[in-house]
Formats: sequence, structure tokens, C-alpha cells
Amino acid sequence: MTFSDSIVLAAGLRTPWARAGGAFSGEDAAHLGAATARELLARTDLDPSLLNEVIAGCVGPAHDQANVARVIALRAGVPWRVPARTVGRNCASGIEAVTEAATSIVAGHGDLYLCLGVEVMSSYPLIVGRKMTRMFARLAAARTLGAKLSALAKFRPSFLAPRVALLEGLRDPVVGLLMGQTAEVLARDFGITRAEADAYALRSHERAAAARAKGRFEREIVAHLPLAGDGRPPEASLAQDDAIREDQSPERLGKLKPYFEKPDGIVTVGNACGITDGACALLVTTATRARELGLRPLAKLRSWSWVGLDPSRMGLGPVFASAEALRLGGVELSDIGVVELNEAFAAQVLACERAFASDAFAKQHLQRERALGTLDPARLNPNGGAIALGHPVGATGARLLLTTAHELQHGDHELGLATLCIGGGQGGAVLLERIAA
Amino acid sequence: MIDVPAELFPSDAPPAGACVQVERPEDGLAIVRLDPPHRSMPLLDAPLLRDLGTTLWSLAEDASLRGVVITGKSPGRFAAGADVKSIESVTDPRLVEDLIRAVHRLYRFVDRMRPRVVAAVGGPVPGGAYELCLACDVIVACDDDSTRLGLPETQLGLFPAWGGAHRLPRRIGVPKALDAILTGRLFRARSALKIGMVDRLTKPELLLRVASDVALGRLDVTPRTRGPLESFFIDANPLARAIVGGMARKSVLARTKGHYPAPLVALELVLKATTTSLEEAADKEASAAAPLITSALCKNLVGIFFGSEHAKSLAKRTDGTRPAPLEHAHVIGAGVMGGAIASLLAEKGVWTRLSDLSRPALDASLLEHRAHVKKQLARRRMQRHEADAAVDRLDASPDVVGLKRTGLVLEAVAERLDVKRKVLGDLAARAPSDALLCTNTSSLAVADIAEGLPHPERVVGLHFFNPVRKMPLVEIVRGPATSDETVVRAAAVAVRLGKTPVVVKDVAGFLVNRLLGPYLDEAVRLFVDGADALRLDAALVRFGMPMGPLLLLDEVGLDIAQHAGASLFAAYGERMTPTDGIAKLARDGRLGKKTSFGFYRHETAHGRGKSKPPVPADDLPEFQRGTTARDLGDDELVDRCVLAMLAEAVRALDEHVVASAAELDLATIFGMGFPPFRGGLLRYADTLGATEVVRRLDVLAARPDVAGREGGPARFRAPESLRAMAKSGATFRGRVGGRPAGVRVG
Repeated sequence: MTFSDSIVLAAGLRTPWARAGGAFSGEDAAHLGAATARELLARTDLDPSLLNEVIAGCVGPAHDQANVARVIALRAGVPWRVPARTVGRNCASGIEAVTEAATSIVAGHGDLYLCLGVEVMSSYPLIVGRKMTRMFARLAAARTLGAKLSALAKFRPSFLAPRVALLEGLRDPVVGLLMGQTAEVLARDFGITRAEADAYALRSHERAAAARAKGRFEREIVAHLPLAGDGRPPEASLAQDDAIREDQSPERLGKLKPYFEKPDGIVTVGNACGITDGACALLVTTATRARELGLRPLAKLRSWSWVGLDPSRMGLGPVFASAEALRLGGVELSDIGVVELNEAFAAQVLACERAFASDAFAKQHLQRERALGTLDPARLNPNGGAIALGHPVGATGARLLLTTAHELQHGDHELGLATLCIGGGQGGAVLLERIAA
Repeated sequence: MIDVPAELFPSDAPPAGACVQVERPEDGLAIVRLDPPHRSMPLLDAPLLRDLGTTLWSLAEDASLRGVVITGKSPGRFAAGADVKSIESVTDPRLVEDLIRAVHRLYRFVDRMRPRVVAAVGGPVPGGAYELCLACDVIVACDDDSTRLGLPETQLGLFPAWGGAHRLPRRIGVPKALDAILTGRLFRARSALKIGMVDRLTKPELLLRVASDVALGRLDVTPRTRGPLESFFIDANPLARAIVGGMARKSVLARTKGHYPAPLVALELVLKATTTSLEEAADKEASAAAPLITSALCKNLVGIFFGSEHAKSLAKRTDGTRPAPLEHAHVIGAGVMGGAIASLLAEKGVWTRLSDLSRPALDASLLEHRAHVKKQLARRRMQRHEADAAVDRLDASPDVVGLKRTGLVLEAVAERLDVKRKVLGDLAARAPSDALLCTNTSSLAVADIAEGLPHPERVVGLHFFNPVRKMPLVEIVRGPATSDETVVRAAAVAVRLGKTPVVVKDVAGFLVNRLLGPYLDEAVRLFVDGADALRLDAALVRFGMPMGPLLLLDEVGLDIAQHAGASLFAAYGERMTPTDGIAKLARDGRLGKKTSFGFYRHETAHGRGKSKPPVPADDLPEFQRGTTARDLGDDELVDRCVLAMLAEAVRALDEHVVASAAELDLATIFGMGFPPFRGGLLRYADTLGATEVVRRLDVLAARPDVAGREGGPARFRAPESLRAMAKSGATFRGRVGGRPAGVRVG
């Protein structure tokens, strides 16, 4: 099968990224996603009945929104007959939604997809343990008072200890490491110091603060008035990412204690990405269809790749995935104008930087004679990244694509690479190409 | 056989036996179907009652019969109650008594039939239809959204006289029956089951099967009647009854201010219901109902009922078709009106986008919308998913985008012609070629706003009143170029939003504000001339207005009232000459309720506590100049205000601002709260008689303080048409309203 058209990101929009437990803490994924989708549909003036499918990436939808994509679609006014699926690839779910759409287009299933990445980490629940669950089950099944009492008698205070869904979700169940611990592994592998990691984190905040001050994000953000949930109604809508620290400093970063490995680790909450809420919507179609619909696409998908690697070194995923995406796209790293590499941890980004530049790493892992090349710091995350903005896991991938696409225009680049590491030992990368205006 | 008075048979009455069908699907069972050929929705009119009687009498002779099911044309069409239309024309109390006694005989027969009688009902089951159910052994109702049961008679100035006032308290107990009858509320199926108004619910498709099984005893139904203990301690206990009755009487009087006798009559009957035999009850109901039904008050309320039914028909085209329901709407301007209209649209299922240059204004509108939805949810008027949908349906953004699919754009921006023209022009250029272009202006002419727009035929005024959710009237303002289709679609939107539409001509103040102008101005003049503010307001409240004119001015806002007065003066000349009394008061940001200070001091509620009633400002005497009005009696104060408005209403009707006197009356009731028991402003004139109105106007116009002021005589000058009516003895209701506003004039 040959596919002669090109796949484009026809339009995109995101909410501000909001620190978890903050502005969007009363939100749920369906409402946040649907509000973003409605705004995108309104701005593109697209009739949603034309959509082939709605695809949403989300890692932790609420328990009553299992196929959250379908809930989002219907709550966004998409007609019943347009199907919807929720896709998951952990931190890359937002990109996964887009590459699934692209794959469907190439396969000839359709040519117009509304893709989303959405995550409300604030609403991740506490879980009651299995013993407690079993006790409730027995209690519910008990018919007689005696049976009920005997079920209740099984209760122990320890049953009340809640399990934190968020923490358990961030632990790799195969190698038993928290995500932050995999970053510590990389720091040791590549000899990265605490000072280097903190310096990188500071740079992320500085760049993000500068971008926000210049209004760079305004073209991608729609202000959002969050739901109150059970709390007090908000006073105003949120128009900007609220986790960026204008006043971040080496001193403040230096004061923080290692979070994952005490006392000698280097990953602190200051040089790791923050827990965040947000949603991002992208319209994925073909260049031809975009023209027909009167849309002016942001960028073209030149190639994409998904790879697997050692789960305890999952942070190197971007290196493997980028190598493959570049090969498929027929270009070298030096051709790339801008690289958005997700900042899960400063140590992990620095490890990637070194692996990209290492001949030995290339030979050993990438079946290449020479290194992929140097990641020019000026071209790497020019507007900061997840350390400053935060990382709403299911949504981040979509934002990386949106930010990269805008950066092509803004920074006058031909090619851009959006790539991230994925818990569980994977990497993903998408090569975007600018569309001549 | 029952004898229904012959006078009550409509002219299109079908022959005897045509209105009720009997089916015998199996041994021992008869299904009695109310199926009058002359109505799509059965109505318990004379022919149907006659045929029902004949049918049941003959069934009673069949000894093999074990069960009877009484049902309607379909599960959702049982019967819409008694024939109110025929009641409207009845003036002879004896006729009414005869009918009531006849119905009682019929219902008692149903009650005493040997076979088990099951009412199988759904859709609207109001009044007489539900009273028929009460006479049956078991009531099975449809478990769906459209089913509504209840006894709404008190809302028409009547009470449930076909046994309802007695059978309902016996079924559900005195306290609940009092609530149901005195509020006239219609209950959804689930709540009806909960309080015992019905015995069993089932899906409409299964209604007949379940009812048949119940009738034949194949399906057990626990009767929902009151337990012996409860009825002993409350219903049969004189002390408990006295307490319940006293509380109910108090709340009725607070609500009706003594203007409506029917609830009090109902109250007495319900209180004694459990100690009265049904025969006695029939007698009491018949003799108590007859004078009520033939009273002017009842006719006025029935008139309003038909008036609002007629208003809903404005949403239909002349060929009976309805416009497609609105799906997407855009509202521009997130002020008080725009925000509330957008919120209402979203609540009623329209995808709505609200736009405004100010983000804080948008946020405030969204927050208010969500707070309202939350309240609805807390009061269980909405379910969770409905509340989510209502929240989802309102988006707010500074950018006016997504117009391709919109069916209605409404501007609620500043009252400036250039701004409104520009906004509506931009919208018209981008919206689909069939979108309604609406303005919520209250002071500009629709014609002026439409001028220069490429599609003036789609421009229409949609004049909501403040507060939008509470005020039931929407004036559909028809400009000279507005098309019939546009008017119908605008009316359909109003009806969708639960409002009563009245089509009015594009004149200054439209209808309601034009009438309020002289009314409010006259009140201020009385105040300035020495009338006590509190006494003036109280006099009009006693007349039946929901609040006095000076308090109303505070609510409206003194600045807005001043502006409205000036524009009426500009349009109509001397008779609208505004007093400078408001201007004197409205200094230093003293603008009424919104600034907590006007004629009254308004205390805003803090926290959950109820706000205190407003008290008159201490310094009011400083603004009074004369003494001519100081010693006027209550009636004179009322006449001055109401007759000033009445004269203007006659002029408006003469100019065909509305199609008919009935619609004008509806607008006064729903738009300004004119007392419903008076039937509307022109019905009030009919009650006084044209001769008397002319006489009083002449007296007022000749009073020195009126004659001596600018525009005074003009305001109270009796219109020529009214003098002609006085001569001929004609009434407004008898008068053909001229060309209906629904038809293009000129």
C-alpha cells in the first residue's frame, strides 16, 4: 500500500498546564477534554459530524469515565455516530492518539481525526486495599445479621491505610523502580552531578518564564475556567501555565533534598517534572482534506517511531526513538531545527544529551558507526519543558507536538522533533516538517 | 346513565357512543378506552362523560367481568382533564352544580363497581382526569418523563370538585393532599408514586399488559393508601388537623394576599374530607364550586390560561408545522441580560457560546450559570448527567467563532445604535444564511438596528425582562422588514426557553415598558406631591401588584428608569413628560437596589440568612415638594397610576402594537405582574366598564394638580376609541383586536 498524501496537524489548542491540587483540582478529564475540544471545533468552525473518530490519550481516566474519549466526544457535541477510543502508552498517550490517527489515515480508514491528550492528576484517587475490598464484598453478600457481623469482624485498622494511585502508577511493576529511581540509574551511568541537573532545571524555568512573558504560548493556549468540584468556585479563569517559577534560583534548587534515593541521589522535586493537570487537542488530517476544509495546517508528520528498551533505563527512550524516526524520515540530527525532548527529569535529559553525542553508545545500541550528533542547547526545548511547565502524563505528548509545530513557524525551522521517554521502558519520537505558507 | 346538561355539549359533539371504545381481549376483562373522535387528546367533556357513563352501566350488567381497565387513546394520551373551555362561557351556577353532581354519580359508580377497576394512565393527567383515577381501585401510571399527575384547579380559581378534594386526602392523607391541591402542582411519575398518588409504575409499552394483569388479580399491587395509624393520628385527629390547617391557611394567605378565595374553600373541604361521607362530600363540592366557577375571577384566570396556550401557538407556522429546534446559538455581550439569556439557552439544551471583550465578565457569567446548575442539582431538579450537559453547553470566549452552525445570534451589548449595528452586521456576515439575528434592545428601534443589514427580514427583537429566569414574558419585536418565518422561529425559541411570547410592534418602549412609563412616572409624581412612599406602595400591592411602583423603580435602577422615561418622552411627546423627581433622588450614585439605596434602603443578604425587607429611606421628605397628593385615599392613588397606564394601553391597542386585547393582558400579567385575578389591564377596564373608565379619566384630567402640569391632561385624556366603547357599551374582549401583529401591517 502506498500513501501519497501527507498527514498534517491541521490545528491545535491546549489549556494552560496547572499545578496539581491547584487551579484544576475540581476538574475531571471529560470536562477538561471536552471544553478544549469544543473550543478547537469552534475556532476551526469544523462540523464535528465530519470526523472519522475521536482518539484521546489518557493514563488515569476517572473510574466513571473508562473510555474517556467517548465521554469527551459526546460532551463536546460530536454526534453519536462518530466513534471514539481511548489509547494508552503511559507518558506518550497524547502522541499515541496522534500516531494512531496517522496510522488509521495511512490504512485508509478515514482522513479526519480529533486527537486529544488529557490528564487530571489532581483527581487520582486513594485506593482501599484488597483486604478492605474483600470485606466489603462479603458484607454486601451477607444475608443474615450473623453473616454481616462476621464479615465486619474481619476488619482490622490496617485496612484503612490508603494506597496512593499516583505513586503506584509511577512505579515500574516489572523492575520495581519508581520513575525517579530510573533517572538515578541514568545519572550514575552517565556520571551526571546534582549541580548539572539543577542547572538544567533552572534553565527550563528561565526559558519557560521568558516564553510566557513574551506571549509565546498564547497561540497554543485557551484560557479555561475550571470546575469547582467540591471546593470553592474559582475566582477567574486560568490563562497561563501556572507552575513556572519566575524566581527559581540555584540556591533554592540546592536546598532541596534528594527525593527518591537518600542521601546520595541527585533527583529532587526541583529538577524533576511536576504533577500537573491539562488537556491538549489536535486535529489530524491529510493535506488534501485540510485544504478542502479551508484549514491552514501547522505542520506535517514526516515520520514517527516507537521503540522499547530496558525499563530501568526508560529515560533513554528518546535516543532510541529519535534514531529510528530520523532514519525513517531520511534526515540527520543536524537537519533538525528544534527538538522538544520531554523533561521527565533533568538527569534523564542530560543522559539523553550524552547518549545522542556518544559514538560508543551509537555503536552499542543503535547499530550506527557514529553518534547521532550533538543536541545544540539552543535548539533543545527553547521554551523550557516539563520541569517548569509540569507533566500531565497523558496530555504531555500532544503538547510536545503542538509546541514543536508552533516553534517551526516561530523559530523559522524546516524540521522539528518531538520525543519523550515512557515509563515501562519505551521511547517515542515524531518528526514534524514545516508547511510552506 | 348520567345526565350531563345539554348546554354543555359542544357543537361538534359526536353521536352517542362514539367517544368510548370497549375491548374484550380475554375472558373477564374489559378495556375501556377514552377515544373521542373529535379530539386528538381526550378531554372529559360532555359527550365523553355521557359515553363513559353508558359504557360502564352496561358493563356492570356483565356478571362474568372480573376486571376493568380505563385508559386513553394511547399510553401518553389519557385525558387532559375537564373541558375548561366550556366552563369559560357558563354563567348559570345551577348548570355547574348539575354537571358536578352528574360527574360525582359517574365517579361513585366507578368506585362501587364490583369488578376491579384499574386506571392505566400516562402523559398529562390533570384535574378531572386524575379525579377519575382516584375513583378507580388501582392507578397504574407510565414511568416516563412526560407523565404528570395532579390537581391544578386552584390555579384557575377553582378547586378539585369532581371528588378530588375528598378522595385525595383519603388516599394520601390530609397534609400531602393540602400541599398538592393548594399549590396545584403537577407531579412526575416517580414523585407521584412516592407520595402514594399512584400505586404502580411501568414503562408505557407495558402499560396495558400490567394494568390488565392487575385488574385480573394476576399481579399483586400493594395499595399506596395511607396506613391506619397515620390516618388515625393525623387525618382523624381534630387537633392535628387544626394545626396543619392553620399553617396551610397562613401560607395560602401569604401567597394570595386574600385575593383568591378558591384555595381557602379547598382547604376547608380537604380538612373535613376524612370525616365526611362521599355523598355528603359530593354535595359540598357541588355547592361550593358553582359560585367559584361562575365568578369573574375564575373567568379571568381561565382567560389567562387560554391566553398563554394561544401564545405558545405563535411558535407554529400557519400550516401547523414547527420550525426545527435550535441547536447552536451565539450571545454577544456578557452583561446581566446576555449572561442570563446564554445560561438559560444552555440549560434548555442549546449549545451556546457567549462572547464579550471582557474576560472577567465572561467568567462571572459562567460562574453564575454553574452556580445555578449546582442549585438545580441540589434541589434534584436535574440529574448529574443533565447538570454536566447544562455546564458543557455554555462556552465563553472573547472570540466570536464557530458561527458556521449557529441558528441564532443575539446581541446584548451596550444600548448604542452604532455598536449594535456593527456587532449584528459582523455576525450577519458570518452566520449561516438562515440564522436568526436577534437584538435584546429595550430602548432602540429594531428597524434602526436592522437598517443597512443585508438581511433585515431575519432581524427581530427578543426582549427579555430582568431577571431573565424569573420573568415569564418575552416580547418578540417585529420590525417593518421582519418576516413571518422569523417571528415564528423567535417565538419558538421563547417557548423552548419556557417563556410566554407576545408579538409586538417596533415602537418606543415596545409594549410593557411603554405602559410602565406613565405608571411609574405617575407614582413618582404622587410621591413628590406629598404621598407617603410606604402607603403608596402598599396601596398598589393591595390592588394586587407584586410590589409597589417605588420599590419597583429601585429594582429597575433609577438611572435606567430615567433613561427609559426620557426616550418615551422623545417618542410620544407631552403625555410622557417625565417628572424630575427621580433625577433629584438619583444623585451621588443613589440608583436603587444595585447601590443598596434609592427610595428604600436595601440590605444585602450576608451568608445564608435571608435579606431583610427594604425600609424607606429616612430622607424621603426632603424630596417631596407639594401637598396635593398627601391626603389622597388609597383608591385615588391606585387610580392615578393604573389609569395612566390604562389610557396608554388603549392607545397601544388602537395602534395595533399587539394583535389583541387578550395578548395585551397577557403581557401585563407576565411582563409586569399585573394581578392575574384581575385578568389583565384591559380586562380590568372591562370590569370597571368603559363608561366608568372614561368618567374617572375625565375627573383625573380635570384635577387642578394634573391639569396644571405639563402633559398632565394629555396623559389622562380618554382615547376616542374608549369614548366610543363607552357609548356603545362594548368591551375589549368583545372588540376585534384589529389586525393581528402576526400579519404584516402596511
